[in-house]
Amino acid sequence: MSKVLSKEFLQRWAPLIVLFSLCIIVSIINPNFLSVRNFARLATSSAAPLMLAIGVTFIIIMGSIDLSMEGVMAFCGASLAVVMLQFNSFVEWGFLAIPVAIVFGVAIGFVNGLIHVKLKIPSFLVSLGIGFSCIGLTMVMTGGVRVSASDKAFRLLLTERFFGFPLMVYVAFAALLLAYFIQKKTALGRNLYAIGGGEELAHASGVKVERVRIIAFALAGAFYALGAMFAVAQIGSVASNLGTGFMFVSITSVVVGGTALMGGIGGVWQTLVGVLIVAVISNGMVLVGLPTYIQEGVLGVLVILAVALATNRKAIQLVK
Amino acid sequence: MSFIKKFVEESTLSRRKFLLNSAMGFGGVAAAAALGPMGVAVASTKPTLAWGYRTPDNPYWNSIVSGGESFARSVGQDLTHLIHGGNNEKILADVKALLSKTGGNLALAVDANDSPNARSIVEACADKGGFVSTIWNKTDDLHPWDYGDNYVCHISWSDYQPAQDTARLLLEAIGGKGGIVGIGGIASNVPAIERKAGLMKVLEEYPDVELLDWQAADWSTSKANTVMSTMLTRFGDEIKGVFSSNDSMTLGIIEALRAEGLAGEIPIVSYDGTADVVKLVMAGEVLCTVSTNPYWAGGIALSLAYHAAVGSFKPSDEPHAHREFLGPAIMITQQDAQAWYDNQIAQTPEYDWKDYWKYSSGQMTYDKV
Repeated sequence: MSKVLSKEFLQRWAPLIVLFSLCIIVSIINPNFLSVRNFARLATSSAAPLMLAIGVTFIIIMGSIDLSMEGVMAFCGASLAVVMLQFNSFVEWGFLAIPVAIVFGVAIGFVNGLIHVKLKIPSFLVSLGIGFSCIGLTMVMTGGVRVSASDKAFRLLLTERFFGFPLMVYVAFAALLLAYFIQKKTALGRNLYAIGGGEELAHASGVKVERVRIIAFALAGAFYALGAMFAVAQIGSVASNLGTGFMFVSITSVVVGGTALMGGIGGVWQTLVGVLIVAVISNGMVLVGLPTYIQEGVLGVLVILAVALATNRKAIQLVK
Repeated sequence: MSFIKKFVEESTLSRRKFLLNSAMGFGGVAAAAALGPMGVAVASTKPTLAWGYRTPDNPYWNSIVSGGESFARSVGQDLTHLIHGGNNEKILADVKALLSKTGGNLALAVDANDSPNARSIVEACADKGGFVSTIWNKTDDLHPWDYGDNYVCHISWSDYQPAQDTARLLLEAIGGKGGIVGIGGIASNVPAIERKAGLMKVLEEYPDVELLDWQAADWSTSKANTVMSTMLTRFGDEIKGVFSSNDSMTLGIIEALRAEGLAGEIPIVSYDGTADVVKLVMAGEVLCTVSTNPYWAGGIALSLAYHAAVGSFKPSDEPHAHREFLGPAIMITQQDAQAWYDNQIAQTPEYDWKDYWKYSSGQMTYDKV
């Protein structure tokens, strides 16, 4: 009994234990890690990956995968910057750029889901294709050049601080709460788990599987757009490579946090822990003085470890 | 079993002959229909112009190919884009297809993507009688003069010396003492290696300057932003200067400093001479950047191939310094940034595409850094 308890305990709390252990190790080597300014920097650099990871969490809970986030992020980020430039000032009409970017994110996610469901093409393939198309569209929109997004009012997301943390950190936290609300309190959230747990059973229980899938992809698109907004606020400009590297980080975060790629298990809080683990590793590497290129190796090992820990091998008869 | 081999060979040959004949037949009919009675004669004299490059989704390659387009316009022709996206096989296949389509009447400028791949492309062009200029990637034992006139030239850049110049400017700006940090590109890339080596060389002359840390941010704006902000946590006020290995990363670095209210307070040197960073130099937030003038290089590489193809000059009569040469490296400082911006960025620069070696920095050498 105690063995079962300890295994369950480990599976449930391992990511949090890893996060705290990492924090302790890094802070022993470099006490600056524990400063408020460093926490603010950690939180700022986690805001964009957190949004992408939350978006893809919904998809992974369903047992599908979405690889379009880099393209969607680039496209939404570029739309945001271009619309903002069109209106000159953010405080007059430029703020419309934010809803426009989110609508684009939703629309792309919707198309993604629609093709996946109606043409019965595996989600990884559709989303990969959509992602590449979005990068192409971004290229056309920006003409291959970097678009500035230096509007001072928009950049308040980064420059305005409350209790030492930039405004965008609070906005990201609000989005996290919203995601938790969707996951926990809405029929959509419950249906995602039902589909991830067993699609045929969910269908037999009256869940409109196709509709839920399409809505989930559209929802993920909205979070990718929010991720794009934070990334643009952070670096003040957009090029069509805005999303490069974010797919690895976000999917790694989701898996390391404890959401199972099989579907049906996990959630947005686990994703938050996963994002923080990845952020502490990259922050810690520099604080400790290790070269950054070791980081991806460490993250790769972590993904395998996390999946190995979270998988119940007795329940799986076939590994494809 | 030899009859099987013979049969396979014969059927392969006859299929190839059939495909070639049909391609020529259809191509010829289409060309004749499109160009009219004079068209065929014109098509046989003017070579097709093509640029083979990595991606338009990058300011550097965009600038290269814009130069190529500018040259193509100057001779009243269109430019064919061969985008390889970092794929050796694709660029070779595209070049071979274009050679077949044009019957070798091709003037090509190309980045082979990978050094060994340059030989395959050059040999494909030489076999069909096309004319090719390469930039950046080629092996040390591949030389234009070994292929007569068909391998027109190779253009490359050395960042070692210019990086020393920017490093010296940085170390002088901090008064020759204190701590600096360096942010580099993908560790295995030649420009990343040369730029870091330039800094390390100059650091030997300044014993009171300490390189606090060097981290690779892989040419990425976002990654450089995160790395810089973490370096601020680690070293705080100890950081007196920043050596950034390229402009994309400088944009991330400057925003990390801006978030802490430090933009313009800590001197930064950069590389690549892109419009965004030239503006930052003008604003006093960056000390300098270095332009390798990709626009000119993109135009002149194609111009050389074209003029060799139409016979305006004979490459084999030229000295080695004109066949393998280094492109320009121009340091843009706060004194001359405005003038550079006005002449090179605010307006489309005008070049004489027949003044082939005007901005050459001399013959390529093969000294390893």
